[in-house]
Amino acid sequence: MANIASSPSGATPDPKQVNAEAGVDANQIEDINLEQPKSYLWVVRLISVVTIMSAWEILGRRVDPLFMSYPSAIAVAAMDMIKSGELITGLISSLSTLVYAFVLASALGIVIGLLIGRYKLVDVSTDWLVNALYTTPQVAIIPLVILWFGLGGNAKIFIVSVSTIFPVLINTTAGVRNVPSQLIDVGTAFEANERQIFMKVIAPSALPYVMTGIRLGLGRAIIGMVVAEFFTAITGLGAIIVKYGNQYDTASMFVPIFVLMFLGVSLSALVKRAEHWIAPWKETENT
Amino acid sequence: MENRKVKLAVEGVSKTFRVKGGKFQDDFLLHVLRRLSFEVYEGEIVSLIGESGCGKTTLLRIVQGLIRRDAGVIRVDGQPVTKPARDRGFVFQQANLLPWRTARANVEFGLELQGVSAKERSEKAQSLLELVGLGQAGEQFPHQLSGGMQQRINLARALAINPAILLMDEPFSALDAQTREVLQREMLRIQAETRKTVLFVTHDLDEAIYVSNRVIVLGAKPGRIKEIIEIPFGYPRAELPELRGDPRFQEIRRHMWNLIRNKPEGEASAAA
Repeated sequence: MANIASSPSGATPDPKQVNAEAGVDANQIEDINLEQPKSYLWVVRLISVVTIMSAWEILGRRVDPLFMSYPSAIAVAAMDMIKSGELITGLISSLSTLVYAFVLASALGIVIGLLIGRYKLVDVSTDWLVNALYTTPQVAIIPLVILWFGLGGNAKIFIVSVSTIFPVLINTTAGVRNVPSQLIDVGTAFEANERQIFMKVIAPSALPYVMTGIRLGLGRAIIGMVVAEFFTAITGLGAIIVKYGNQYDTASMFVPIFVLMFLGVSLSALVKRAEHWIAPWKETENT
Repeated sequence: MENRKVKLAVEGVSKTFRVKGGKFQDDFLLHVLRRLSFEVYEGEIVSLIGESGCGKTTLLRIVQGLIRRDAGVIRVDGQPVTKPARDRGFVFQQANLLPWRTARANVEFGLELQGVSAKERSEKAQSLLELVGLGQAGEQFPHQLSGGMQQRINLARALAINPAILLMDEPFSALDAQTREVLQREMLRIQAETRKTVLFVTHDLDEAIYVSNRVIVLGAKPGRIKEIIEIPFGYPRAELPELRGDPRFQEIRRHMWNLIRNKPEGEASAAA
């Protein structure tokens, strides 16, 4: 039973409390470890949102629309872009590239990361290359990528893949290295062979790290996608930003920016949920 | 014991580690075990006790085949063994349950590695969960279980491969005093039911006396046998608090304490 009779700490004894001493009054029984109601926090958040958006609306209207826009104008621009189908086409173009390249690069990163983490020879023969490629800013190689793949979709896929693969790979490697040696001992003590240790101990133990890598990789993939679209493709959300920027239509330019923001937030939340679902025992360690 | 068949024999086992000295000191050799020999009879519970650094855990890991020995032979039923095999089950000091597996799947782990069918595994796991008193907790994950429950699963996992010998490495040392006594008792009950041969490492004098047929007292640096003490109490044993009231218990305890502390018998009164 999680019920005990308790009095508000620090309060002076009131008559009800004295009664409770004699025979426990049902009203005096409180649950311990009960979460404080958190609804008021949402109210505070809502007030904050309304205040800042209103301030933006009011101040934004006083600025030359060339330099800054405001929420209602952006909403109108968004409606126009949804009606014309421009936004949806751009979103689908961006998303399909993103998902394709992201899945490909994650799978590759996990496999390579597992091998690097487990086998010293693979590690020493590739670590200089991984470090060099990881630290090179992706923007720097874009002219080269355009030389290789032209301005089409393949260049986009390449850039997003390069952005994604390293966080996944590096975190997977770290996951393999951080498998507690006691768990490997358990495998050994129960006669596991190398393949069984790899599949039944190392891989599941590294999984939370892999998920962290995927979450970080996703953030970089979205950046890589927008950068790629700025420089290469004539489609996608990035291309829409460039188009309206060139037309000095600031309100319309904000629309794909907001879409990207929501995309980032919701995909991150999705991966975070997946992390919790896949590795519930690690939830406090991944922040 | 009427049946004096030797189940496990440790013959002249030595182990030396090289310790890296670092910047200010040369490397040096640490003789953890030197020519250690003893036998454990079938169905017997033998404890290894000694101050920290006497190599008791190292010895247990050598018997399991988790680390190599430098010299000597380990025999099970007269046959030399070097690697882990299903004739020996290991109960770890920390439960070391695989956190992504349910209690049941942890118990099934050894059977799964052997390729036992899912149906057979699950039946076996259920009967073992019931044996260790956790018949209802099969679907719980380790982080949802208390330390004592985790150790019960740890024991069930070792029993699942049906080993003739159980090697237990201070399995109750991380538990609170009450839970420890409950689990010591459970361990004795399970041993009586399954007739396993047990080699038990502990640093707790009372625990060693309470659970064992014989207690091997080790000295440190290098680890060697100081004395093998026969425990005069039969099975099923009286509860530990009751046993503590027995003058023989106190006498054995004092004697063991002096052996571990390297004190001659005369100074006994000062030691307790």
